[in-house]
Order: sequence, then structure tokens, then C-alpha cells
Amino acid sequence: MPSFLKEFFNRNGTGMGLTILGLVLFWTIGLIILPQLSMLDFSFRPNLPPPEIGGPKDVYTLENYKYLIYGPEGGSQDYNTVDLRVFFRTLVAAVCVTIFNLILCYPIAYYLGQSKGSHIRIFAIMLIIPYWINEILRAFALRIIFGETGVLNTLFTGLGIWDTPFDFIRNDIALYAGLGYAYILLMIFPIYNVIESLDRNQIEAARDLGAPWWRIHWRVVIPYAKPGISSGCTMVFMLSAGALAAPQILGGPSSLWFTQLIYQQFNDNNDWPQGAAYAVVLLVTCILFVLAMMRLFKVNMGDIGK
Amino acid sequence: MNSSFLRISIWVYLAIFFAYLLGPLVIMSITAFNSSSFPRISPWECLTFQWFTELFHDQRILNGIKNSLIIGMGTVVLSVAMGLAGALMLTQIWPKLRATYYTIIIAPILIPGVVLGISTLVFWDRINRMLGLGADSVLSNGVFLTVIGQSTFIASYCMLVLVARLQRYDTALTEAALDLGATHAQAFRKILLPFMRPAIASAAVLAFLASFENYNTTTFTFGEYPTLTIELAQKVRYGITPAISALAFIIVALTVFFALLNEAKLRRQELVAAARRNATVQDLGGKIRLPGFFAGNMAAVLLVVFAVATITVVGTATVYSPDQCIANVKEQKRLEAERRIQELRKQREEQRKQREAQEAEQGGATQSAPKPSNNSGFGGVFAPGALGGGTDAEPEAEEPPKGNGGFGNVFDPNSLSGDQ
Repeated sequence: MPSFLKEFFNRNGTGMGLTILGLVLFWTIGLIILPQLSMLDFSFRPNLPPPEIGGPKDVYTLENYKYLIYGPEGGSQDYNTVDLRVFFRTLVAAVCVTIFNLILCYPIAYYLGQSKGSHIRIFAIMLIIPYWINEILRAFALRIIFGETGVLNTLFTGLGIWDTPFDFIRNDIALYAGLGYAYILLMIFPIYNVIESLDRNQIEAARDLGAPWWRIHWRVVIPYAKPGISSGCTMVFMLSAGALAAPQILGGPSSLWFTQLIYQQFNDNNDWPQGAAYAVVLLVTCILFVLAMMRLFKVNMGDIGK
Repeated sequence: MNSSFLRISIWVYLAIFFAYLLGPLVIMSITAFNSSSFPRISPWECLTFQWFTELFHDQRILNGIKNSLIIGMGTVVLSVAMGLAGALMLTQIWPKLRATYYTIIIAPILIPGVVLGISTLVFWDRINRMLGLGADSVLSNGVFLTVIGQSTFIASYCMLVLVARLQRYDTALTEAALDLGATHAQAFRKILLPFMRPAIASAAVLAFLASFENYNTTTFTFGEYPTLTIELAQKVRYGITPAISALAFIIVALTVFFALLNEAKLRRQELVAAARRNATVQDLGGKIRLPGFFAGNMAAVLLVVFAVATITVVGTATVYSPDQCIANVKEQKRLEAERRIQELRKQREEQRKQREAQEAEQGGATQSAPKPSNNSGFGGVFAPGALGGGTDAEPEAEEPPKGNGGFGNVFDPNSLSGDQ
């Protein structure tokens, strides 16, 4: 038995030690690692009816990944333009949502982190309350607002700014507003946590030395808050690229989100290996993108969890 | 920069921000009380509580709530247990493994929920097949799969909450208990668990809420047991009714209530602690006056206002009957529809007459030499040049003439509605 395991059992006793170890192993291996590997393995297999699984036809194949790039075999087009376009659109839109949230949330996080008083607590409650409401209901609320006879259209046509109702849903404005709305809190809290620990004297010193307010932010606050900003951005990007509810409810009829394609493969086409392949592509691309961004902005992985 | 300008702009910014954050919820809550069968604020028809009645008679919603509660409880138990074990392991693990271990247990937060749902489904399906069990075994049961799938990432949230408190735990306490002859299990139950209780409670609440509102993972694993969120999503996707707003209103009200309750309690504890700190020894000797529940406690005041408002609303709902108002609105709508039909009929008539006249004109035009349209005697009804094209004239005539058709103001909508 390795020494650290012996020490572990000495510290916790055999019964307790086994319970802790069992739970941790079940979680890390049984729930996190093996299912992911299983999905990866599954994505390289053909779609077979249950009796044929494990039979001679059940061999590894790249077919599912080829489908994403080249489309169905013998199809009219060289590339699977529909799915690929959806894929890139999802990534670009997720980046836009992340940037939008960062711009929206940074001033609030800075304000909450730097001011003292009892009203800050009330603000914090007001921030958290929407987050406790069901995700579906939040999207539904935005649909009431952005619908064709919704509040915004009634307001603007009533005021005579527009003659005809503007279709927010078909133009994807509702979708972006909904995605941004859903993940505001995940952007604010990491930034707030870091800025709260920033020594006010640093800002005052910069001000005394004659720095304008934007330079104080650029040279003092933002470098200090970088770990918080990067973990906020990572979370918002990953979650909005993987969002399913908001695109289903707020997306226009002609625009799809990549997760919706995965959902269709599973539920409508009943092609699990294909869906698994798409899920793997989404997961791997998102992780690579985040890692690339972290390298670009010189952030360490260890800073993210703080 | 001018500081008062900066101050004002901060407040404006805060106002816009919170309007974006809370506005949708407020508007959605209001639509629950409008009798219009599509959730909207304007036009406001009648104050009604019928959507709440409808909601409470919806079997699918009620069934969804039941499933959500069952799954939520399973998830709370499993993920708090795993989170606590994970946190204990994190404080003791071999330092070389620590970073890898931390990455693994934190990863589920960042993995998209869709991917977690799919991997759970695929993995347990395979296990099920390897064990040779049928399609109706426990391992392919919707409740089991959903609890497992949700716990994968909810346990990470719990672990983060628990490890924050665990770091302040003094392990000397456990060692003292062991020296005094307690078994490891006793030391855990009597020493560590009481210390961790507040964190366990907040982890449990967090886990329950996360489970209750989860959609992305559950949508792949629910099987025969749709949760409330799944049912809501189905309803919202295929036609929306104010009954959903009514449900949302209830959830918003409950959330606000518990948030205020919690805040009021915390604030009171703080005030009590402050009073104790400032009190002299004599005060503590017996006659210390603790601050009342309301003194300096805004959250408590809000809480009471909120409770009174709720009671008023529920009280009104039991005696209020919007039937008369709804009947009025219905009557108005009928009249409106009638008026529209009449208007349309008149318009058609007018168009027909115009077309006839135009055909006559065209007939004339083909015989005589083409003339500039200004001279045709129709004034500004047609666009200049429309007649010169011959065939182009037909679509132009579809456009109803507005007021200058020579019929005076007979077709002004107001003149008809004035009679009724």
C-alpha cells in the first residue's frame, strides 16, 4: 500500500476512509471520466440497431466526424455547409455574448466591489433573485418582451418610432439578449470577488499621481482583476456555447444553435453515435478555444479556480 | 472628471442594469393577471386569477413538480455526500496529485450540460447492456439517470461551498476527540459534522435549486419522468399561455420571500452581535436590550410589506370575480370584429367599383391614343405612370384608397364605432 494511502487510512480510520475514498472514486471515475471516455468511444462507432451492437459490424469508424465536415455520402455539396455554418455561428455568437456580458458586468462588479454600505447587500439580493428563477421561465419572460405583440413592439409602435413591429426573434436579438441575461451572475461574481480584495490605496495612489480614470482601470484594476475576468469569461463562453434552452425558446425558426443539432440527432433522428460525435466536437473545440485565449492573454489555469 | 457627473452616470447605469435584470421578471409576473389568452401587458383587459386556477388543474405540471421533488431530493443526498467526500479528499490528498484531482472535480462545472447528459446516457446504457439487463431495469430508469447526471456537476458546486468552510476547520479538534477515545466515525459525527452544518445546509439548498431548474442535462436523461422544467420547456415551445406566467409569478414570489427572510435573519444576527459588542459588562449582566426585529433592518420591513401584499392579493382573489369585465371585453371584441368585417366589405366594394371604372378606362385607353395619366380624371388615386404600363395598373389598384375615394368620411372607422 502506498504510504499516502496508509496515512490517509490512519487519519480517517478504515471505515470512514473507505467511505470517502469510495464516494470520491465513484464521482471522479464513475461519473466524470468513464462517461466522457464512453461517449468518445461511442462517437467512433456506426449507428446500429441494438441486436447488432458488439457484432461483426461494430467496428471503429470516422464516419460520424466525416459527416459533420462532408455531409451525407453522395450528397449534392462538397461540404456539410449547413451544420458547419451552425457550428461556427454558435462559436462566434458565444464569443459576442461573452464580450457583451463582460462590458455590461465589469462596471457593476467594480462598483459593488469598491463601495461599502447596506445598499450593496440589497443589490446583491437583486442580482441573485433572477438566478434562482428557472432557466426556462427566464427565457419565457424575454419572449413576452420581444414577441411580435410583445412589450417592446407595443411600446415603440405606440410611440410612433416604428411603423411595423420589428421581428426581434427572427433577427436573433432576443436570443443574444436571453443568453446574456442568463449568465450575468456568472460574470459578475468572479470579477467582484477579485476586485473586492483590491486595496483602495492603490487606486488612490494612481489618482494622486495624476492618472485619468480610464488609465487607472487599464493599468491598475484590470491587471489585478485578470483572474476573475478570465474565469468569468470562461464560464460564460462555455455555458452559452452549450446552452440549449434559450436557443430553443428564443431562437428564430431559421437559425439553429449547435446544441440543437445534437438534440435533433438524439431525439429526432435517433442517431446516438452521430450526436455523441457532435458533442465531442463541441466540447473539444470549446476547451481548445479557452486554452488558446488563456495563452493569448497570459492567464494561468491555476488562477481560474480562485 | 466631474464627480457629480460620474455619480449620476453610475446611478443611470445601475438603473438600466437592474431594469434589464428584473424588468422581464416583473413584466412576466404582471401578465399572469391579465385575462388576455396570450401573455401580454397591453392591451390590458381584465384583472383575473383564472390562470392560477388553470395552473392548479394542469396534471402535467403537477406531475412534473412531483418528479422534480423526487429527483431533487436524490440529487441533494448524492451530491452533498460526494461533495463532502471530495472536499475532505482535497484537504488531505497527496500534494503531487492535488492539481490534477482539482481539475477533474472542477471540470463538470465547465462541461456543457448537454455533453454531461449525453455521456451519462451513453455510459449507463452500455453498463446496462454489459450486465445483460432489459430496457426497464433500474440503470435505464429516468429518475436514476437524471439524479446521476445532475449530481456529476452539482457535486462540484457543493464541493466548492464545503471546502471554503473546511479550510477554517482546526484538525486538532478531531485529534483531541480521537485521543479521548472516540472512534473515527464518532469524531466525524460529533465534531466535524456540527462544524460543517451551515455549509452543508447552503450546499443542500444550492443543490436542490440547481437540480430543480436544470434543463440541459435532464432533457437527455429524463426518460419517463419529465421534471417540471421539461414540462415547462415543452409548453413554452409549443404555444405559450399566461398559466406559465402564473407559475413564474409563484416562483418569483417564493424566491423573493425566502431571500428577504434569509437577509432579515442575517441582518438581525449582525445587529445583535453589534449590540453585544458595544455593551458594557454591566449591560451584559442582565438588562441588555437587543434591537427589535425591525430596527435598522430594511430587509425585515420589506419582508413584512411583502407578506401583507401577498395576503391582500390572495384575499382579493377569493372574493373577486372578473366575469363581468371579461364579458365586457368579449362584447367589445365582438363589436370590433363586426366593425372590421363591415369595413372590409365596404373596402372590397370600393375596390370592385374602382376596378370596373379602371377597366372601362383601360378599354378607352386602348382605343384612343395613350394619354398621360394626369389627365385621366382619377386625380391622385393612382401613381403617375401606372396607367401607361397597362398591365402594371392591376396591382396598384389593390391598394385601398385612403379618404380620397370620393366617399367622404363614411368609411372612417370612428364614424361607425360612434353609433354603437
